[in-house]
Amino acid sequence: MPSAAEFRRPPEVVMRLARMGSFFQTRLSFMRSLLRRLKREDWKFKRNLWAIDEQGFGRAVYTVYGPERTYSLVAFSHDLPDHMRSDRVIATAWDATFCLYDGIPSEADLDRLEQNVPKQEAGRITDSELSLSRANRSVRLWQHVIEALSAGKQPEREQLEAVGYLVRTTAVYGSGKFGAADRLTIAERPEVSGPFQAELLSVWLTRAFSLDLVEHIARARGGDQAVGFDPGLRRRIGVGNSTGLGMAPFLINHPSLLNNWMMAREEAIARVRSLPQAESAAIAEFKQHFEAARFNRSQWHSEHPIQIEKLKSLSADLDLMAQYIERESLAEDHPWDRFYRWAEDNLSLEGQEQLVSLLLEPYGELVDGLTQCMDADEHLSFFIDGAMLVAELRDIMETRCQWALRVDYDHPENRARFWYTSAEKLEPRVGERFQESGAEYELPLAIGYAIKQMHTSLLGWEDGLTTAEFLLAHPEHRHTARRVQNLVMHPYAEIQDNVIAADMLPIDILRCKLSFFGATRFDPRSDRWVRICMYQDAPFPSELLAAAP
Amino acid sequence: VSYKLTLAETESYLRKVARACGLDWGIAEEAGKAARWLAAFKLPGPETLLTHLQHLAGQDYAAFIPDCAVSPWQSSPGPLCPIITGAALADRSAQMLNGKIFQLGATAYPLLLAATVGQAARCHRTVFTTAWAGVEVSCFENGLSIDGNRDDLLLSQVAAVSCRQNDLASPQQLPSTLAYAIDGDIFKRIDELAFQTYAPATEESRAGAGAGLTDND
Repeated sequence: MPSAAEFRRPPEVVMRLARMGSFFQTRLSFMRSLLRRLKREDWKFKRNLWAIDEQGFGRAVYTVYGPERTYSLVAFSHDLPDHMRSDRVIATAWDATFCLYDGIPSEADLDRLEQNVPKQEAGRITDSELSLSRANRSVRLWQHVIEALSAGKQPEREQLEAVGYLVRTTAVYGSGKFGAADRLTIAERPEVSGPFQAELLSVWLTRAFSLDLVEHIARARGGDQAVGFDPGLRRRIGVGNSTGLGMAPFLINHPSLLNNWMMAREEAIARVRSLPQAESAAIAEFKQHFEAARFNRSQWHSEHPIQIEKLKSLSADLDLMAQYIERESLAEDHPWDRFYRWAEDNLSLEGQEQLVSLLLEPYGELVDGLTQCMDADEHLSFFIDGAMLVAELRDIMETRCQWALRVDYDHPENRARFWYTSAEKLEPRVGERFQESGAEYELPLAIGYAIKQMHTSLLGWEDGLTTAEFLLAHPEHRHTARRVQNLVMHPYAEIQDNVIAADMLPIDILRCKLSFFGATRFDPRSDRWVRICMYQDAPFPSELLAAAP
Repeated sequence: VSYKLTLAETESYLRKVARACGLDWGIAEEAGKAARWLAAFKLPGPETLLTHLQHLAGQDYAAFIPDCAVSPWQSSPGPLCPIITGAALADRSAQMLNGKIFQLGATAYPLLLAATVGQAARCHRTVFTTAWAGVEVSCFENGLSIDGNRDDLLLSQVAAVSCRQNDLASPQQLPSTLAYAIDGDIFKRIDELAFQTYAPATEESRAGAGAGLTDND
């Protein structure tokens, strides 16, 4: 393989919020690596229980059987009055609630889960469960689909594609939350040790459940007259998600993990850019995905002013890309690198990142293995090298953290926000430092500001003293010192922007994370709240996997 | 009534309790890790840490900075804080790889100190042994051994502690990943203290989150 290092984009280019907030899903995204594994390992599938009444209420169990272990989505479908339907984390009731059970649940397990899963945060699950989640119907599409199918007709494609999903999940909790099994429980299981694999397995099965449920209700209502979905139309339905600030601190709280996600992605892009030529099959595949991207753009709507502008830019970028593809050779002279460098000069960040996603598509053999590097042993980066000299600590900051040091935090707009946990919602929130009370509860997420403060505190310290001595006198910098030292081995660990600036957009952080999940159709509902679509066009369990006996 | 806390929750709660009791976030992280690590071996790290942190609350951090220039280490006027001292030892753990044995004077809850230093064992891929009274606690890369008088494990204060590298081959006990059972009243206290790190709602904070649009669509 040619050396890709010289093609790798440096952290100061990649780790900026404006760019991270323009990321697209790629073939390294976690949903896609999950489905590739299930297929490759010949997993089996079976709906083991369907105890749903004619109204659509009851319980169901969907099980996938791997080479070594099985996992079951346990679903409870409830009667929810319209006025209680809210995607916000403070909601207390949902149309459906779920957990991913480790194995196949017994009747007693289901009874226990029925006492707890519908309560979500107010309930309690156990070491036998790997995730906890809920979903609400898209009321407009749900009604339309039932009316159509029960009357023997297919739903309107346009209406269906305008929404893209029948149910919208909100929080999907895993890793020891609300009693669920600790991450270490699954750390040695290759099928779920990768990032969010258990959670995304549960979401994939949730999508199947939502389709089964709507067809079941339509049949109950329409009797012999009712029809099921046309398979092609069925695929167009993904599963929605609605999420907000609660998710944003994750990327800041897991610097080594963020680094590994980014490094894998950047290495993949660099490998493709380093190719001296492209085969005609790869070019054809690229073009096919390019057309799909244009179609996806035509399906992607938002009412949010920021996203409307971004989508306009993306449309223009796609037109320019089409002209480039017509005009230039994609076969010779490092074609993908030339294309990318042209994009840097001519396209918006949306267009550049769309191209990045497309460039990886023809090269699964070259890049898919990188998904194995997207996990992190966070314990190792917890360790502080106390023997490191003050000179070196300072040098790391001055060479790798100029993005933090160059900001003048005396200007109120550069310190306008603070992140805190809300006592009312038990979730992270962003406050206005100079207008609201509560800044004394600030969470240690303003890394840039903290680095600058540590740099200032270090001014009087002699080069030959150690980090250990400095931290004994300045325990307030311990969190920051850990992160600064971590940058040596994890250069992509920090978002190189000021996350407490007045103009910071939390949705940029959300989009970055959700793109790694594999989300599409990013639709901000405010600057801190977003809806997305997952698994649209992906196969269903019964399509991808053979039936279990 | 006992309550089951997952290890992730144990770490998260105790980190917040440490913060609520006056430690900075960076050192509070060490406290959370120590509690989690002990809980994984079914040792009462969370309970012990809670007791210690409540004692710490409201006191001046400076009083707990160990004087590392003398041997044994000491702080004045009280005994050494196992978390602050444990973190300072972890920061100097490379010295133990060269045979250095650290001697400490009067120390509170030495089990917490052993667990805090123990976090460094994994990074150095070695074994660090902390000894006090009649007991020795050895922290491995991925395990734990306890030798001597287990009755001394939970002593609230001892006159002397030592800490050194060890060449033991394999641990007596591997960590569990299962939830840790804790007394319901103690959990309630942990929950109350952790809650003190959360900002009370204001009119502005209520207005800020969410889409502000209907979800009933």
